[in-house]
Amino acid sequence: MMKVGAMQLGVAPPANRGIAILDFVLRIIAIVGTLAGAIAMATTNQTLPFFAQFVRFRAKFNDLPSLAFFVVASSIVSAYLILSLPLSVLHMVKANAVNSRVLLLFLDTATMGLLMAGSSAAAAIVLLAHDGNNKVNWFAICQQYNSFCKRVSGSLIGSYAGVVVLILLILLSGVSLSRR
Amino acid sequence: MGSIHSTKKSSQTPIPMTELTSSKTAPPLVVVAPTKKAVQRPPVARWKRGLGIFDFILRICAIAAALAAATAMGTTNQQLPFFTQFFQFKADYNDLPAFTFFVIANATAGAYLVLSLPFSIVCIIRPHIVGARFMLIVFDTIAVPLITSAASATASIIYLAHNGNSNANWAAICQQFDDFCQRVSGAVVASFITAVIFMVLVVVSAVALRRS
Repeated sequence: MMKVGAMQLGVAPPANRGIAILDFVLRIIAIVGTLAGAIAMATTNQTLPFFAQFVRFRAKFNDLPSLAFFVVASSIVSAYLILSLPLSVLHMVKANAVNSRVLLLFLDTATMGLLMAGSSAAAAIVLLAHDGNNKVNWFAICQQYNSFCKRVSGSLIGSYAGVVVLILLILLSGVSLSRR
Repeated sequence: MGSIHSTKKSSQTPIPMTELTSSKTAPPLVVVAPTKKAVQRPPVARWKRGLGIFDFILRICAIAAALAAATAMGTTNQQLPFFTQFFQFKADYNDLPAFTFFVIANATAGAYLVLSLPFSIVCIIRPHIVGARFMLIVFDTIAVPLITSAASATASIIYLAHNGNSNANWAAICQQFDDFCQRVSGAVVASFITAVIFMVLVVVSAVALRRS
């Protein structure tokens, strides 16, 4: 009965406000993770100290299309997360905003799918670059491009952390929808 | 009931009296409750029940897509008609770890969907239950990144196999292993369809969790 009275006043009940604050904090963590991943991948540039006449011994993220897709996907996800911060603040203030919560959950699910797609496409290429593949005769380029591979692996860690945070955000939205 | 009758054959008269007294006290308790439930259930349950039926149908489609993807990838086996002394020109899903992960992830998703069908049926029959729906949304939210990850890792390997990469000196093997590549590409498409269906399932469960 006390909860009904609080909602009639238009103020969020304490539990829902706590969930909204946690949502806001998690969004900021996700922004940091994905942005760091995108920047770390986009600034890869390793040139080997020897060269031949026709072969280029330089590794950038542009050379592998999956890594380029990862940079684009991570940037889109970071931009969306920054733009969704005002919506999260609105949920802190307004209790009976149900449609915007459902919209935010839908957008979060789509974003998580995009980020996971980019991260795992890059991860598959990085695994291939680390180990090579004897059966398909693909050579492990990480044995030469050491610093490039380390940087790319580090940026993947940031974006996978972003995926985990997005999962938590979706579950938090579900909990707050069911508690009203 | 039969055993009680056999032990109390000598004293049959007290039993109908206790039954009469119990029947006198029982009906007032029974009369009050159904009117409350009959008034509150229909307006809440109608759209939630529709969402539950939609959820069930989507789950069945997702089972078909996930198992089709896993089988199509798992049964690939193309052997080229020529061979040298040291090389065997055979392409299998075991050759690439991304493909193995793909088969495992899609098989797991198919098994999870089959096991979640009873919970979906419970949500249709009793639309006001929160626990089963919340469990479904939790596991569906975990399944979305799993399937998306498997599908996109395999898609990036297949893109590499189709086009090759001159910078890393990786040859395009699809020019030789034609049938293998077509089959695997079809499996990836089915897996992406499963991922989209899982996303729709998450949103449907979230909308059905609303208290109107």
